[in-house]
Amino acid sequence: MSDDREQHSAWLGLVLRDVQFWVPVAVLAGGLLVLRWIS
Amino acid sequence: MSAIRLEGSRGAAEPGGLDARRLRTLQSVGMLCGLTAGAWLGAAEAPTKLVTLGLSPVVISLGMVIGVFLARWTLPALIQGTSYIAADLRQAPHLIVWAVLAGCLWAVANTLTIFAVRDVGLSIAFPLWNSNSLLGILWGILFFQELRGADWRRWAGVLGGAVLMFAGATALAIASAAQVPPRDAARGVAAALGAGVLWGTMYIPYRKAYLTGMSPLSFITFFTVGELGMMTVLALTYSGGAGPLWAQLSGARHILFWLLAGGFVWVVGDLFQQYAVKYAGITRGIPLSNTNQLWGLLWGILVFGELRGASHSVLAQVIGGSIVMAIGAGVIALSSVSRSEHLRWQKAAAKEGARYGVDPEYTQSRIAGENTTSPPRPRTWIDWLVVGVATATIIGFALVARAPQISLRWEWAAVLVVATLGMLMGVGAALWRTTRFN
Repeated sequence: MSDDREQHSAWLGLVLRDVQFWVPVAVLAGGLLVLRWIS
Repeated sequence: MSAIRLEGSRGAAEPGGLDARRLRTLQSVGMLCGLTAGAWLGAAEAPTKLVTLGLSPVVISLGMVIGVFLARWTLPALIQGTSYIAADLRQAPHLIVWAVLAGCLWAVANTLTIFAVRDVGLSIAFPLWNSNSLLGILWGILFFQELRGADWRRWAGVLGGAVLMFAGATALAIASAAQVPPRDAARGVAAALGAGVLWGTMYIPYRKAYLTGMSPLSFITFFTVGELGMMTVLALTYSGGAGPLWAQLSGARHILFWLLAGGFVWVVGDLFQQYAVKYAGITRGIPLSNTNQLWGLLWGILVFGELRGASHSVLAQVIGGSIVMAIGAGVIALSSVSRSEHLRWQKAAAKEGARYGVDPEYTQSRIAGENTTSPPRPRTWIDWLVVGVATATIIGFALVARAPQISLRWEWAAVLVVATLGMLMGVGAALWRTTRFN
């Protein structure tokens, strides 16, 4: 069980350190702002 | 038997590259998937016309996403089974995060398209949000080694095609000014372009998954969790809470079935689009699937009677702009991936696999459209439960559905339905023969 948790946090950390991950995150935030403006 | 040849092996392949014939076959299937995606994605936008009946855009989008959710669990369970999907995810669990993020992007983009259709109409909004392919090409080149190692003709084909598509979209945007009040046009254009940026960026998670080797059928099951979660939050926020949202959904129960059906059709198109991205890459697969703009134009003009009464110059702009965009997509499609470029893809895949600790054999065999790491698995009771619940839900909504009070030309609708079904069967069979849906 603790191995599973360690593996889980390991790949989650890899995702968060991946620069490519933050590009879609930033675009998503921008999209929500556009939606707020037009609705 | 993997079609990937290792260094030192004999045959037509370069060291570490795919067998040349296998590469051509995968490319052709990927391109056909892109074209079929265009037909189905175009058909799926037709239900958004229901917005003219006075429904809230977020309720329409939520209705579609519920249909999408049902389809995204039903189709993979039917085609490969949930145990196949679970095995796939164990190989690359980090892709769950990417899939959920992609689903969130999709939900916001889809909601924006409903606003865009309301403000500038289907035939105008479509090409604007299809600018997503330009952004997709950029991300493909920047992040995933696409077009690296390609000769100048292929660069010229892809970039020239992209410029043509942009020119066509611009012509259509100018035509929009003649159709609607300026304030609505500005909002509609912003919504359509915003959706284009979101969808264009959504191809980053797609490509991450398919470079790693994951089957699109596995990716979409978690993708849809992000979709439904984000859409529920949006619907609750913009409807003023759970009570008002429930009241709106109850009031719309007679037409919810059509929105669910639209979402279901969209998933079929999206599935083909995902296979196109996997086997033809973002730079080719996405422009081809963006021929949905032409299908949208056909649905808009032939079935819904859009642009009726428009001046000849507006009609010329809309039709001319659409044709230019289609030519651009065709030019891109003809710039097939060379073996040297495909080797660069494989290097990108190896780097991605190394970053996340994915088994290299899994990645290599899946890029070749094969499955050498896990044996076929029989269906379980879970698969039939998923299919049964989804089918019962859809039937339930169908029983209370009423035909929308909107003017349609049924004969043209029948022609378009037969054409899209024919593409589904033909290309679906080719995809099964070539990749077994891996």
